[in-house]
Amino acid sequence: MRLYVYCLTEGIKRLDKTPRGVSGAPVQIVEFDEDLSALVSVCRSDAFQVTRKNALAHHEVVRSITEQTTPLPARFGTVVTIEQLRNYVSTHHQAIKAKLAHVRGGIEMTVRMIQSIAGAETSELSKNVGPGTAFLLEKRREILRDEAGAVQKGHLSAWLRENLGELIKDEKISVTASETVVLARADHLIERVDVQEYRTKMAKATQERPDIRFMVSGPWPPYSFANIELEFSSQFGVS
Amino acid sequence: MSDFDQIIVGEEWENTDLSLLETLDHVLNRGLVIAGEITIAVADIDLIFVGLNVMVSSVETAQEVLRRREATE
Repeated sequence: MRLYVYCLTEGIKRLDKTPRGVSGAPVQIVEFDEDLSALVSVCRSDAFQVTRKNALAHHEVVRSITEQTTPLPARFGTVVTIEQLRNYVSTHHQAIKAKLAHVRGGIEMTVRMIQSIAGAETSELSKNVGPGTAFLLEKRREILRDEAGAVQKGHLSAWLRENLGELIKDEKISVTASETVVLARADHLIERVDVQEYRTKMAKATQERPDIRFMVSGPWPPYSFANIELEFSSQFGVS
Repeated sequence: MSDFDQIIVGEEWENTDLSLLETLDHVLNRGLVIAGEITIAVADIDLIFVGLNVMVSSVETAQEVLRRREATE
């Protein structure tokens, strides 16, 4: 029997108004101990279709349970056997409990930022050189973009913390820079009672930066704060 | 007209294309990976390509929405 997994959660003993899951399947609870459980659906076949309907069904199940408690959402498309699921939970039990404690009472807000780079130079220089030099120039630009992205990431994090302060329990920031534009994304874990204050502070903060376009979305279940791979990696000194 | 803009997507997020893309982006690209692999079948398209398409669409749609908003201001 294969199970489609929506999330790991704590404190859920029964489901009241949980919507139908992927492919219209009912959602069930798999209990691991007195507090820890998973929301799953039994898969009728080995695989299922990647459709907008199924992706939204996944989100609706996770969202509905988030109204009761803060879960660790599984990535869309997670299909395992019951043995694999039980094995995963038993081998990661401590990390799962720590992660659930970390997100407890929280929700995720997402900020996307688009900044045009004024006076960005195009690759005119590359047009009059040989392929080897052009390759090296492109590599140099790539390195400079990476360095600029790292600097931007630091500045952005500092600016967001300056404006949002203690509302941020945790954050993840990614920056992608090209020659003409910087795309950044910040995911914030905040207390669910702070959503309105977060929106107000973000709206005020964005007025200080007319050079950046902002999009703020949420609240979301804590998709960006659910994975425990980093804790595993950090034991080996890998970040 | 300022080139500054913002979209605060709040309780009404279900009604916008942008919010649909945001939802798909969260569901496809984030979340706990339980088994170290994800089992998905959709013809010959795997999750990496689906995710990439969503990401590209997110940026393009976001820029288009912002352009439209600027044009109406």
